[in-house]
Amino acid sequence: MKISDTVVGAGFVGAGALIFAATLNFPALEGGHPGPSLFPRILASLMVGFGGLLSIQGMRSRDTTDEVDWLRLYKNPSFINATFVLAGVLAYIFLVEWLGFLVMGALVIFIIMWRLKVHPLKALVVAIVFNTLVHFLFAKILRVPLSLGILWW
Amino acid sequence: MIDNLLTALSLLSSWKLMLTIAICSAYGLFVGAVPGLTATMAAALLVPFTFFMEPLAALVAIVTMEAMAIFAGDIPAALVRIPGTPSSAAYTQDSYELTKQGKAELVLGVDVMTSAIGGLMGAVVLMTSAPLLAEVALMFTSFEYFWLAALGLSATVMIASVSPLKAGLALLVGLFFSTVGLDITLGYPRFTFGSTELLNGVDFIPAMIGLFGVSEILRNMASAHLKYPITSVKAEQIFRGVAETLWKYKMNMVRAGAIGTFIGILPGAGADIAAWIAYAAAKRFSKEPGLYGKGAIEPIVDAGTANNACLAGDWVPALVFGIPGDSITAIVIGVLFMKGLRPGPMIFQQQPELIYAVYISFIIANILMVPFGYLAIKVSGTMLKVPRNILMPAILMFCVVGSFAINNSLFDVGLMLAMGILGYFFEANGIPVAPIVLGMVLGPIVEQNFMVSMIKTQWDLTQFFTRPASAILAFLTILTWLAPLIPTLVARMRRNAVSA
Repeated sequence: MKISDTVVGAGFVGAGALIFAATLNFPALEGGHPGPSLFPRILASLMVGFGGLLSIQGMRSRDTTDEVDWLRLYKNPSFINATFVLAGVLAYIFLVEWLGFLVMGALVIFIIMWRLKVHPLKALVVAIVFNTLVHFLFAKILRVPLSLGILWW
Repeated sequence: MIDNLLTALSLLSSWKLMLTIAICSAYGLFVGAVPGLTATMAAALLVPFTFFMEPLAALVAIVTMEAMAIFAGDIPAALVRIPGTPSSAAYTQDSYELTKQGKAELVLGVDVMTSAIGGLMGAVVLMTSAPLLAEVALMFTSFEYFWLAALGLSATVMIASVSPLKAGLALLVGLFFSTVGLDITLGYPRFTFGSTELLNGVDFIPAMIGLFGVSEILRNMASAHLKYPITSVKAEQIFRGVAETLWKYKMNMVRAGAIGTFIGILPGAGADIAAWIAYAAAKRFSKEPGLYGKGAIEPIVDAGTANNACLAGDWVPALVFGIPGDSITAIVIGVLFMKGLRPGPMIFQQQPELIYAVYISFIIANILMVPFGYLAIKVSGTMLKVPRNILMPAILMFCVVGSFAINNSLFDVGLMLAMGILGYFFEANGIPVAPIVLGMVLGPIVEQNFMVSMIKTQWDLTQFFTRPASAILAFLTILTWLAPLIPTLVARMRRNAVSA
């Protein structure tokens, strides 16, 4: 998702300003010397400066980067693929405790493979086999407490 | 020294470590040979496993994996014109042109041998320079460490292959992440937004898995179903004519080994930059510069030697000062901290066997590269045919479980996802991701040493410039900032001299 340097630079200016504002209520050291706020303030100031320079550079070079067509983004296959990944991980975070790793992990892998045009039957087999191997490796060998969820027995 | 070497050898001769080396070799070769998967991503995905290993095994695993991955990146460069890792990009065009001329075997033979020789040259420099530098580093105090980290930050920005401005912004983001959590002076929670998970800061490992793993997956999703035509290769013939070629370009290898190692020692510059600089140097001194880009073997010798020589060089500042040479050694420093070890000169005194084992593992990895490389070339057709639309979801699940495994926390999975989106967005806009990691590692060193120095001198800034070593490092840091201006100043002085 390429956007113009002018906009990216402005984003950094905004982020720097927000970080600086957030440090205003940080306490000072004895004698009024700056303490926890010193380093973040230096960084925030540099971020504002560098971001500003990037914006100016973008404007001067008449940055002709294609603007993202936000209204047609839902038709962009790369965007949809990426959305599947993001939605898959988010669904995993919220549902894994309930459904368990064996179900949720396989589901995420299957859905993304299906989206990437893997034959559904092949995707299902690979998802179940691979996820079971991952479970065996992490839960049984490395002793990571992966949730069993509905497969608690 | 001999005692330490023997101890290290006995430690490395255990069957568990041999198995680790074999598995990590195969892993590194596979990741390197599959376009779109980088050595840094492989290191980030290896970290959750190193969590469960002994420190020595963890370091050996990373050394072996990275050496193999950087070589294996040459395989798809020669066979499908796509560099397996960014380190092979400099000579991809020449490799593929030679392949089209029916010389794929020679290219791959030269690739494997120059990688092994370059790696061994880097290992020798690491073995000789690191202990000497560690002696010097013992005299360093917070003032010198502050400047050293500042020098590392400056070099990260100035040596960046893309825009220094964008590299600087990425570095600032990494430095900002390093400020999250309890501060070192008052224990005040900064930017935690009431989250207990953030009190200890942004966890390095899920952040790296996100930045290098998830962002790569998101990038690869666009082309995950694509297949590329692969040139078949006769592995039995890869060593035919290689000895003559290497003998012809023996001085090139020496020069490229020196360039690669030097670039590696500079903080922030990795194997990709070493390869590009070695390529440029080879062209500058070549008798046939016109052939470059059209199928010349000379730049493959130079850049192929330099990128592997760079790897051991990267470990010099990481082990001696705790300052990462590149993104992989930033991960190594994270692993050492995770194991309760603090990289720096004291580690050379307290655990010399560990350091010697790292030296030896570099040598073993580079010797093993020849037979393992041969096998990888033999099965390259199969490796390149692994469907990426199956591989990417599988890697995603490794990222998810790997992030979770460090603290058994779903918060870390969310952190990984956020970092993945950030990394993807940054890369898409030409902002490099590696400086973020270097910022996260160097941030606490800069801040801690600055604050300690200021408090102990009661805010007397002159102390940063009056100690001899500190003054030298300060001078080098400022020189790094002024470096981009030097050519302009020289040109102006020349113009003035001519007009006078």
